[in-house]
Amino acid sequence: MTPLALLLTLSSALFTLGLFAVLTRRNAILVLVGIELMLNAANINFIAFWRYGPPDPELAGPVFVLFSIAIAAAEAAVGLAIILMVFRHTRSTDLNKLDSLHG
Amino acid sequence: MLPLAASDASLFSPEFLPRLPQRLVEMILTNLGAAESLVSIAGFLAAAGTVLAVFLSAFALLSLIERKILARAQNRIGPNRAGWFGILQPVADGIKMLTKEDIVPAKAERLLHLLAPILIVLPSILALGVIPYGREWTPLPLELGLLFFFAVGSMTELAIFIAGWASGSKFPMLGAMRAISQMVSYELPLMICALGVIMVSGTLSLPRIVECQGGFHLGFIPAWNLFTPWGLVAGLLFYICSIAEANRCPFDLPEGESEIVAGHMTEYSGFKYALFFMGEYLGLFAISGLGITLFLGGWQAPLPGLDFVPSWIWFFGKLALVIFSFLWIRATYPRVRIDQLMRFAWLCMIPMSLLTLPAAAIWHFTGRGALSWVVTVPLLAVPWIITAMIFNRRLSPATRHYHFAE
Amino acid sequence: MIPLLILSPLILLAALGAVWMARPVHAALLLALSLALNAVLYLVMGADFIGLVQFMVYVGAVAVLIVFSLLITRPGDEAEELRRRPGALLPGVACTLPVLAMVLFTVSKTAILETGNAPSISMESLGKTLFTSHAPAVLALAVLLTAVMIGAALLARGAHASGLPRSASCETKTADETGSEPPIS
Repeated sequence: MTPLALLLTLSSALFTLGLFAVLTRRNAILVLVGIELMLNAANINFIAFWRYGPPDPELAGPVFVLFSIAIAAAEAAVGLAIILMVFRHTRSTDLNKLDSLHG
Repeated sequence: MLPLAASDASLFSPEFLPRLPQRLVEMILTNLGAAESLVSIAGFLAAAGTVLAVFLSAFALLSLIERKILARAQNRIGPNRAGWFGILQPVADGIKMLTKEDIVPAKAERLLHLLAPILIVLPSILALGVIPYGREWTPLPLELGLLFFFAVGSMTELAIFIAGWASGSKFPMLGAMRAISQMVSYELPLMICALGVIMVSGTLSLPRIVECQGGFHLGFIPAWNLFTPWGLVAGLLFYICSIAEANRCPFDLPEGESEIVAGHMTEYSGFKYALFFMGEYLGLFAISGLGITLFLGGWQAPLPGLDFVPSWIWFFGKLALVIFSFLWIRATYPRVRIDQLMRFAWLCMIPMSLLTLPAAAIWHFTGRGALSWVVTVPLLAVPWIITAMIFNRRLSPATRHYHFAE
Repeated sequence: MIPLLILSPLILLAALGAVWMARPVHAALLLALSLALNAVLYLVMGADFIGLVQFMVYVGAVAVLIVFSLLITRPGDEAEELRRRPGALLPGVACTLPVLAMVLFTVSKTAILETGNAPSISMESLGKTLFTSHAPAVLALAVLLTAVMIGAALLARGAHASGLPRSASCETKTADETGSEPPIS
């Protein structure tokens, strides 16, 4: 197994785990954990192709990963702020209970 | 008799004294015929061991000196029973910590409770490795040294949370919340001030940042980053932020003894508490060392004629002065409140530190001379005065809302 | 190759724990571990800057945010989750396994290129590329991060600025409800 194949399999498995967390978790914050895992898996893909793929003088891989990390952090911050607002309003982070638009 | 190599004429000179253990180990192993990789690994372990030995003994000494200085500031004597002038007090403290019973609360998570002190000491020791202590003496001369320092420093916050949460009781949880919010808020101005230095020096490598601060203006003023207009402001902000990052008074809310017992360290006893103590003091050494590297010229001598003194003596002298100032501030100032702390960080420190960036750029592009001073000083001084005026007016306590008494 | 072979199962195990663990704080801490091992993976692959940035941002900021919000919301005992788990598991697995199968199939079908020498980033080249070719993206990112900071601060202030103390809103809510919500401990 070449290193590239290993890393692609790893990132696929991580992405799937993140997707599983988003679909099955009841706590809103743990859904965010799954989202972070998915973004992370995509980053591994980029770095793997930069390292083991054809030479790229434009450094597209690392540059994209930098942007991806920054955006993931921003999205986590806003997502958690929203979750905390909802928690203040309804005293619960259970997604099964947050099923009505009327507060 | 071991044959001496050509470069070993300077092996015992004072300048290369910190290198001595590493060079000796490498020399012995090479003469015994060991492989190249083994020699380098053993040399590196010797270098790391030297750094650890120096800073662990400095930690022991600091615990005594702190108590003595605080005592003298409070008009009492301090520990003087364990040996002449209390010099054996750290030994006594060590024996006490090691022989105390290790109590773990019943509601605590045992694995995380054990892991937290280790995770707090680890970043401090790692961060000590990238600081240049002398002309030839950087244990880990990474090209991304400054980024490495901040990356391992960010592990401390998570470790404090683990310590607070794994203890399973209210005081540690409160202390962990306060500690995390404080450390996150004050890490931002810290990094922005370091960013100004990176911009002007053009590198993230700490030894090269120190080398960029060599030379003297007007014959006797050192070209340290502190003696530039933006560097003065950035250095002062870095100093305040490093007090906050190290959880020292006046920013020691997370371990406020009169409020929440010992914060996140409440449920720890014995050797684990000693590890917390050690992590805090080693972190203090690390961040002071970084401040000295970035702003005070690292191991550079302050006057042109003093180059004969070994460079590491200058570094440790500056470190001693900075640590003394930390202790002095601890003895003098009362603790800040949490809302004062947050307001100070977000409304005063971050705008001022953001202003040092264009100031540094303008200083660099107007030639780094007298013109740069004339242009950048108003850019920094006017917002500083305005912010100080606003904060003087807002120093009164915030209006309190009583939820249950109305 | 050997460091990759050691790190990959560890990352997968940590991520599995983050996804499977019933207690939220354990899951969040295992996520932090998985992200930290990921940073080590980047360092091993030669992307030093990206590895350190990953450590600083993901482990030092995102993971801390997640655990901090867990500290504030304090989700209760997860015994209910464990009992309900088999029921919720099936749709999740049914949606996830086809995705995994499709991705792995695509991975195995592509021609995998192999290069010998490792590229290395120098800070100068990365900085130049970032601020010349990708300058609009960097500026957009700066605007985005500023907006995020202001937005998060405004959202956090929302409850304080609304005028209602928290206890009043809780009392009206529990008086209106007929169903029983377990008291938050």
